[in-house]
Amino acid sequence: MKKIITIFVFLNVLLFAYSQSFQQKGVITSTEGEALIGVNILIIGEGTGTITDLDGYYELEVKPGDRLRFSYVGYMTREMDVNTNQTTVDVQLAPDQYTNLDEVVVVGYGQAKRLTMTGSVSAISAREIRTVPTSNVQNALAGRLPGFFAQQRSGQPGRDASDFFIRGVSSLNNAGNQPLIIVDDIQYSYDQLQQINVNEIESISILKDASTTAIYGIKGANGVLVVKTLRGETGAPRVNVRLESGLQTPVRKPKFLNSYETAQLVNEAYVNDGLVSQVPFTETDLAAFQRGDDPYTYPDVNWYDAIFKPTASQSNMNVDISGGSDRLRYFISTGYFLQDGLVRHFDNSHDNVNTNYFYRRLNYRTNLDFDVTDNLNMRLDFSTRFMNINEPGSMNATGEIFNFERMTPYAAPFLNPNGSYSYLDTRGFLPTLNARLANEGYKRTRRNDINILYGAMYKMDAITRGLSSNVRVAYSSIDENFRRVSRGSDGYPTYRYHPDTDIYTINPNEKYDYATYSVTSGVDQEHWNLNLQASLNYDRVFDGVHDVDAMLLYNRQTDTRFSNVPNNFEGYSLALAYKYDNKYLADLNLAYNGSDRFGKDNRYGFFPALGLGYTISEEDFFSDRIENIQMLKLRLSYGLVGSDVAPGDRYLYRQVYEDGGGYNFGENLQGYDSYREGALGNENVTWEKARKFNLGLDVIAFDKLSFTIDYFHDNRYDQLVTRHDIPLILGIGVSPLNVARTINRGFDGSIGYQTGIGQVNFHTNFVFSYAKNKVIYKAEAQQRYPWLAETGHSINQPFGYQFIGFYTPEEIGWIENSDPLAPAIPNTDTPVRAGDLKYKDLNNDGVIDDFDKSAIGKPNLPTTALGWTLGANWKGFSLSVLFQGSFDYSFSVVGTGIESFKSQFQPVHIKRWTLERFENGEAIDFPRLTTIPSTVNSAEGYMSDFWLINAWYVRLKTIDFAYQIPSRVLPQYINAARFYVNAYNLLTLTNYKKYQQDPEISTNTAGDAYMNQRVFNFGVQVTF
Amino acid sequence: MRQNKLYTVIACMGMLLVGVSCMDNYEKLPVDQFTGEYVFSVTDSMGTQASSFLNSIYDLLPEGHNGVGGDYLDAASDDAISIKQNDPSVYQLAVGRYSANSRIYPVMEWGRYYEGIRKANIIINNIDVVPYKTTFINFNKEVKPLNYTVKAEARFLRTFFYFELVKRYGGVPIIGDSIYQLGDNIELPRNTFEECIDYMVNELDEIKYDLRSITMPEASVFAHAATIEAAMALKSRILLFAASPLYNEKPVTTDNSKLKELVGYESFNNERWKKAADAAMDFMDTFGSNGNRSVGLTNNFTEIFLGFYSGAVNPELIFFRQGGRNKNIETNNGPLGFTGNSLGNGRTNPTQNLVDAFPMKDGKARGESSEQYPYNSQRPYDNRDPRLQLTVLYNGADWLGRQLQTYRGGANNPTGSAEYTRTSYYMRKFMGNFENTNEYDNNYHLWVIFRYAEILLNYAEASNEYTDSPSREVYDAIIALRARAGIEAGDNNMYGLKDNMSKKEMRTVIQNERRIEMAFEEHRFWDIRRWRVAQDVFANPLKGMSIIRTVSSETYTETDLFKVNFEEKHYLLPIPYSEVNKNGNLIQNPGW
Repeated sequence: MKKIITIFVFLNVLLFAYSQSFQQKGVITSTEGEALIGVNILIIGEGTGTITDLDGYYELEVKPGDRLRFSYVGYMTREMDVNTNQTTVDVQLAPDQYTNLDEVVVVGYGQAKRLTMTGSVSAISAREIRTVPTSNVQNALAGRLPGFFAQQRSGQPGRDASDFFIRGVSSLNNAGNQPLIIVDDIQYSYDQLQQINVNEIESISILKDASTTAIYGIKGANGVLVVKTLRGETGAPRVNVRLESGLQTPVRKPKFLNSYETAQLVNEAYVNDGLVSQVPFTETDLAAFQRGDDPYTYPDVNWYDAIFKPTASQSNMNVDISGGSDRLRYFISTGYFLQDGLVRHFDNSHDNVNTNYFYRRLNYRTNLDFDVTDNLNMRLDFSTRFMNINEPGSMNATGEIFNFERMTPYAAPFLNPNGSYSYLDTRGFLPTLNARLANEGYKRTRRNDINILYGAMYKMDAITRGLSSNVRVAYSSIDENFRRVSRGSDGYPTYRYHPDTDIYTINPNEKYDYATYSVTSGVDQEHWNLNLQASLNYDRVFDGVHDVDAMLLYNRQTDTRFSNVPNNFEGYSLALAYKYDNKYLADLNLAYNGSDRFGKDNRYGFFPALGLGYTISEEDFFSDRIENIQMLKLRLSYGLVGSDVAPGDRYLYRQVYEDGGGYNFGENLQGYDSYREGALGNENVTWEKARKFNLGLDVIAFDKLSFTIDYFHDNRYDQLVTRHDIPLILGIGVSPLNVARTINRGFDGSIGYQTGIGQVNFHTNFVFSYAKNKVIYKAEAQQRYPWLAETGHSINQPFGYQFIGFYTPEEIGWIENSDPLAPAIPNTDTPVRAGDLKYKDLNNDGVIDDFDKSAIGKPNLPTTALGWTLGANWKGFSLSVLFQGSFDYSFSVVGTGIESFKSQFQPVHIKRWTLERFENGEAIDFPRLTTIPSTVNSAEGYMSDFWLINAWYVRLKTIDFAYQIPSRVLPQYINAARFYVNAYNLLTLTNYKKYQQDPEISTNTAGDAYMNQRVFNFGVQVTF
Repeated sequence: MRQNKLYTVIACMGMLLVGVSCMDNYEKLPVDQFTGEYVFSVTDSMGTQASSFLNSIYDLLPEGHNGVGGDYLDAASDDAISIKQNDPSVYQLAVGRYSANSRIYPVMEWGRYYEGIRKANIIINNIDVVPYKTTFINFNKEVKPLNYTVKAEARFLRTFFYFELVKRYGGVPIIGDSIYQLGDNIELPRNTFEECIDYMVNELDEIKYDLRSITMPEASVFAHAATIEAAMALKSRILLFAASPLYNEKPVTTDNSKLKELVGYESFNNERWKKAADAAMDFMDTFGSNGNRSVGLTNNFTEIFLGFYSGAVNPELIFFRQGGRNKNIETNNGPLGFTGNSLGNGRTNPTQNLVDAFPMKDGKARGESSEQYPYNSQRPYDNRDPRLQLTVLYNGADWLGRQLQTYRGGANNPTGSAEYTRTSYYMRKFMGNFENTNEYDNNYHLWVIFRYAEILLNYAEASNEYTDSPSREVYDAIIALRARAGIEAGDNNMYGLKDNMSKKEMRTVIQNERRIEMAFEEHRFWDIRRWRVAQDVFANPLKGMSIIRTVSSETYTETDLFKVNFEEKHYLLPIPYSEVNKNGNLIQNPGW
């Protein structure tokens, strides 16, 4: 075979050997459409070649039969035969995502080479997520980084950022589980991250183990997310324009029953409760609902469809300019993002205000680098974000639709025949939801973020080679305020139309005219942060094999919220790295830092971490024998990191007396001060600590395959919790004590594979994360029964009853006759009836009560997160698909989301228990319907594993298809142009039928948050 | 030149550094917070800060108006129900849907009272450093420095909190004057019921002359403060409870011998009734009509709850919590069907059971009355005890310049509304006099904790129980209340009371009189427990009135609302499950 090819090639060469040479030219871009500068183009065998210029343009004299090799750091090398018919050849290079030994990732205060890193870091280049049509960086990261767990709780424009965790959670303080966020080495707040425009970002890393997070000491225990923004490079100005426009539609739209079906079930519930005389609908009513020919007396409105549009628009515009001269480099970016909500517009005749949800965001960033002298470099980064969120002033529109007490399909017509709004005949004569959206005002939240970073780097090679110093001052501020314009639901007229008499009757609150709106405003956030960093860096290679890196860092931070006294943080860090010939690797990170949250003697802590690595593949004995493995590295790290997030009062370490509010007395009712004793101080309060162990393995093989896996075991101790075993006889609250302990362990990693088949580049990457925690000690009082204990379970383990079926008519008979066979009954005033939920009587006392609650289901945070990316490029076309899944978690929907007479009737209610359905052996998914809110069938009163379901989901998270226009058809002044279509949350597979909600819903809620959105998006990107 | 520039830059950076470090540390310690030394200051000769601390203890006193999740506690007895149909906590309390683990606040407080006790102990232990210059004159005309009364008020409040615990749970841990710190052993066992009663009575006797007395000097500042009268009223109430069947004659049964002395006295002793009677009589002899008359009955029944101490207008007040000057009670409980400044949410609906308890205007029960004041079941509110219309708003009653329409579908009981009065009644008590005005107006609203009428009733009950047949003083006490209420004296001047009643007959009269006189004042809930009659009371369903109006007539029909299954264990409340867990020495009450 080989021979045949050789002969074939030989013949070819022969054929064209005497042909004329010619100029081949073209533009080389990445598959994302960026022009690549300095790409090496080599004629194989000739030793001649060229490199691309600032526009990615090349010109090379070739002859037929030549084979060209295009190579560029960080991209997969391509080879291509010269074709006489084509003088203009554009080439796309696909990023080498998996097998690049020189790949550099951003870590704390610097960068690290993948080959020589000892810590556990997952990184992604921002270009991979730039086109995901979501406004939040963290939404785009789901499924792409090993060890990254995300849950998107809401799809509301501007409030749809995912909660995210690195390697799950390990603190019993909920606020104490948020990862530290570092942007250009400066700490950002959780909600500042969601404001950042992804077009300003170069790369994102998450630091997971002690070796990489110890440098952040007291703040590193939850992992660190590090963002590096784009900077200018020397060269002519390059303008990059990106315009996108998309449509949003709910991932999952709730379905409700119509008037006829609802009325039937309502009647049934009354009969079930023995309220036969109060049954609200007569046979005539039911028949009229079924006919549906009298929409004013017998309305039948699908309120979801009436209130919400099927789609809403969003668009995103971004322009950035970058470039630079010898001494000055700049990157300037402006972006504007608009996202509209799904609520339809409803007019009112008096004054129209926009009550729809929407989100507007303007981002601006300038990053400047200035080489003042050859040794002094200064930088100034300025970025700002203006945000505007609009929402209905006094309601959650989805919640209103779910709530049976506020809305039913037969409650009122959508509009009266004369176009006026109607009201509900029941429940305080509430106007219909469209009337309320038209008349009750909006809430507008405005926010302004500013970040300024000023830095200077001075090379001190004069003192000793490799020495430099660095100073940074960063300031950030957030101002957020809101304006609420509101009018009560009795502040405007609504009417009821009577078709038989053609008369309109006004709402009994007798408001004939519009009340004026009342305006309130307030400040949500005022936040200032000043950060000063100074460091000495040393980086030198001795004798070509001894690579020494060192950094000594001083860091101080002052954080002020509103008019409070600032929180101060101060720390020293020392990072030492030694690499011998890229084989033997050692990292020592030491941090000594403190926070004034803690008492004088407990303020400072010392956090050491050691990382060791051994790159076997660099050993001669290995590389000599095994060619196909380019890298095989073992990593190990162990160290201590902390978390200074403490619940409650800032001054936990001292007991103070405080103002207890006024107490009125006296004939003239004077307010007098009252003082009260504050919680008992805990002098010894200090930070939480985590001992983190990480063992990792990196493999790169066949130039195509990469494999990384990390096992971790974190021991989180000295957690600040309020002891639950101190009797209240003490008579005073107690500050949290450093007592609780949890462990968190698991593994994460990825498998990447890339190959080129002919003209097609194909790549795939599978990302897996597993993290499971366990509470070892949390100062819980000894429980009466072992199953009540929370210790030993995971953090946020749900507790509830165990469902063992529905009460049968026979069992109810036994209960009534006090038969010994009778099952246990709940402690309610309404006797149980056949079809009620029956729970296990764990303590066998014949009564279902709190003592029968045990651990059920799983915590809401998935233990397992998977992501699978598939991509291919062919000529100018590229396709990329991401599947993302979460597994091994539970959630429940309660109250207005599901329970009868609290929630709108839904398809699941059709599968309720009835005697007939029971006797016919039909599938029963819901208990007997009842009008009484407090029966055993209420999920709010009796949480159980009937309601709490174990769930998983897999989403087609993003799909992205792009076409790059060949440069020869583009005008001269356009460097590159690219069209793309993509979609977000396109498909969702999940395993439950009980609920209408999205699987990422926040558990134990009504599940009536704004629906998560699916987005279809079209975009164009042009580079000048 | 270039070098100079560089130095300038470095100097600028240095300046910045200095600037940054100067900006930290606003203050070494938070200046808005302070320590115990400031509160109990050696220089505070007015005792202002210490008084502020005392105020925070007063702040822990119960606020009974709509105090149980927006309802009156009496809506958990047979006197009323809540209008709310979404399972309000008072309903759960009424039907007994609670346990040691799922308790109903604020009725089942435990920690709140120990918080008050701790605060009182802090005052007791620290007040002596405050150099009070002010003095006061006590009941015996002795001059004392004011820190005596501050300490005594703290001890009064501490006793009050202990009694709140004891009436709920029986014997509870007594912690004396200790202020516990973290690390102290506080797994204290419960003291016996008897020890608790003795401790409380002893405390009150010890402090009484350190307290000020009515009429309070500087009422504008001190009107709310505990007085010797308040202390003696509390003593009367404590001894009455101690003598009552639930703790004395017939405590809740238990197999646990250790529990026996915790839930009541170990054996019955009739002399306890005498102690209770003596305490009440002592009160009347010292402060009441036989004594210095600092306290007496207020002529106008509605004024008791609306005005401060005033010998002329409202002598009945002994101790109260200030509720503010507002329309809250009217807005929460006024009848439905009004808007704006007349808006009422009809929160508390008196039951037919309570309405039936009111006698006729001649003081005789329904059906037993004279021809002058007959009872007509279709005009059921005519000729009744005048307290009925001052306690309950019924169909046809005058209110806000109208006659109320509480028949189903009437203006004040709308059918379209989700929440309507299922009894056809609304509460009238505690509200201002709005019979003839068009809208509500601000009123002082006090939560009356002790008033003289209770002392009379305490006396009547204890004395009647102690003796074989009721004495003349017992009759007099009841007659005093009936006379004030406006019941006709009758030919025999007995205000409807029968002559020569047996002890048992008199008991029925006294219990009924207590019920109607003190309705909605958080007595009925506890009384039916301490009398140990709750099981009998709840054997009958709670009832409402269904009023159907046609063009020509109104028909009144009593309807059953719901039945309460009252079990033996409900006589005492469960100690919080979590507390029993934490403290191995704390024994749970029987049945929980």
